[in-house]
Amino acid sequence: MSEQEEKPKKKTRREFLQELGYVGVGALIGGSAIFAGVNYDKRKKQVDRIKVLTAENELIEIDKNGVTKVVKSKKEILTYLQKEGREGIPGKRWVMVLDLSKCKNAQRCMAACQSSHHLRPEQSHINTLKMQESINTPPYYLPKQCQHCDNPPCVAVCPVDATYKRPDGIVLIDNERCIGCRFCIAACPYSARTLNWTKPLHDDEDKDKTYNVELNVPQRKGTITKCLFSADRLRDGKLPYCVSACPNGVFYFGDENEDAVTNGTTKVTVRFKKLLADNGGYQLMPELGTKPRIYYLPPKGKTYPFQEKDKALLDKELE
Amino acid sequence: MFKKNIGIKISTIILVSLFSLQAFAQAWTIPAELKAKTSYIPFTSSTSKEGEDTYTKNCMSCHGNPGKGNSMKALNPIPPDLAGKVTQQRTDGDLFYIITTGRGVMPSFKDVFPEQERWKLISYIRSFNRQYVQVLSTFNPQKAKLVKFDITYNAVNHLVRVAVKATEKTGMVVLKNDSVDIYAKRYFGRLQFDNGMITDKDGIAYFKFPTDLPGDKAGNVEVIARVTDDNYGEVTYQTRMKIGVPTDKPGLTEQRAIWNVVSKSPIWLVVVFTSGILFLGLFLLYIGFSLWKIRKIGTL
Repeated sequence: MSEQEEKPKKKTRREFLQELGYVGVGALIGGSAIFAGVNYDKRKKQVDRIKVLTAENELIEIDKNGVTKVVKSKKEILTYLQKEGREGIPGKRWVMVLDLSKCKNAQRCMAACQSSHHLRPEQSHINTLKMQESINTPPYYLPKQCQHCDNPPCVAVCPVDATYKRPDGIVLIDNERCIGCRFCIAACPYSARTLNWTKPLHDDEDKDKTYNVELNVPQRKGTITKCLFSADRLRDGKLPYCVSACPNGVFYFGDENEDAVTNGTTKVTVRFKKLLADNGGYQLMPELGTKPRIYYLPPKGKTYPFQEKDKALLDKELE
Repeated sequence: MFKKNIGIKISTIILVSLFSLQAFAQAWTIPAELKAKTSYIPFTSSTSKEGEDTYTKNCMSCHGNPGKGNSMKALNPIPPDLAGKVTQQRTDGDLFYIITTGRGVMPSFKDVFPEQERWKLISYIRSFNRQYVQVLSTFNPQKAKLVKFDITYNAVNHLVRVAVKATEKTGMVVLKNDSVDIYAKRYFGRLQFDNGMITDKDGIAYFKFPTDLPGDKAGNVEVIARVTDDNYGEVTYQTRMKIGVPTDKPGLTEQRAIWNVVSKSPIWLVVVFTSGILFLGLFLLYIGFSLWKIRKIGTL
């Protein structure tokens, strides 16, 4: 009896090895499960961590959960925009070429400009003028805006450093500084500047917006406004509002340093200096020494008629 | 009333005949093989949506909203309403040809939109035609990936050599008799240099590169080559080459000029102005001193 009881307790070599095998396999499975688990955890951690570039230009890794988004105050954003607006886009020298033989007074440039800069209908940064020098010379249309002079008389007279020249050639106004003295209006030979005499168009809607120097929105009563070469669009690599809006291919815009200008309608890029040389490009009132950044191609070989009502108007003026 | 009606009728007849005259003058001469060209992209609502975006930005200013008849009447010829019968009766190949080459007031969009975008535009135009059934081209756009470019520059004769090959499983295939264009990337677009060329029997084309094209500070220019092949479609390739004139012009406010801040004004102006103020101040002091001296003499 006792022998029978003891018998199952005593393990044979075979049984021992069998159990050892179970334990071994079990340990292996368990171990790999733990290993996989740890690995998974590790990987999860990697996903949860993000790389951040510090202000000192050091790349660090931090936990995703510990991140708090920095909410910039309105003043901080304004300061940033003002700084960016003063520095401009490095290495660029913007130029515009207008082909007067193509302008049909469609006034799409004016409309696009007014809507983007929140201007009243009577205010215009760009204006299509009806031109005729004398009775015998042909009439033509001339879109005219700020010439973004390299030697700007308006900048020289500003007493508060509100209007300034940027390294990339654009003349801008910081309306946070402008005191509305209108010295610049008096100094500008191209009559490119206007004062917001009345409440600006979208004053109520724009109230909470941060002032963007490169867009001049929100407009502010008692400050100057003028063409900005759509500085905000150039930053995104897009052509200015007026240039893209023209249906007749009048506008070319580009970088003098690259010696290339792109037509806003056809999007065809041509050599800037060659375009001027081939078509007799000129500037408005170069004798004043203002060195404008806008060039015009003469209205040679116009294929469209000058509008009758405008002709009558000019005839009256010239008599 | 009757007279008015007649007036309207006559003017309608005149207008219609004028339009038909214009239609005669407008007839496009499109080569038969291009007329039969069809898209390899199936026209879906998503391609139509993408086409609409392109249309709004680039076509709407002249052609107006399709179906609304608000195209720009000031142009000659008047741009057709693209939802209209005249446009919709054209084949896909016709539309593709018109967008690609352009004529007169209609600009060429060959260098503006890649082939795919042009097809998507047509997809948008076709979305106004319920009867339209698309015929798909058997062209496989994946084949474009097989095309390999080799661009080198010879500084002696200023020639850019573009060799185009395709690596098929059966071996290298030379792309001969294909049109190749070459561009330099600029801030707002591509500047084409030299004319479009046709590859020779070895798949090679030579382009004259201007010696005065500005590059970046080191003279690097992003060169874009584009080949159009019947089997492989339109393939573009971009590479950076040191073939431009190194350009590093200073900012326009570097020089001192009569700006509105002292830090930017010319030195001579600062010197003259400061010395003027100084002189005036000293002069006033001298007058004061003299008056004091007179007074002193007087009280003696």
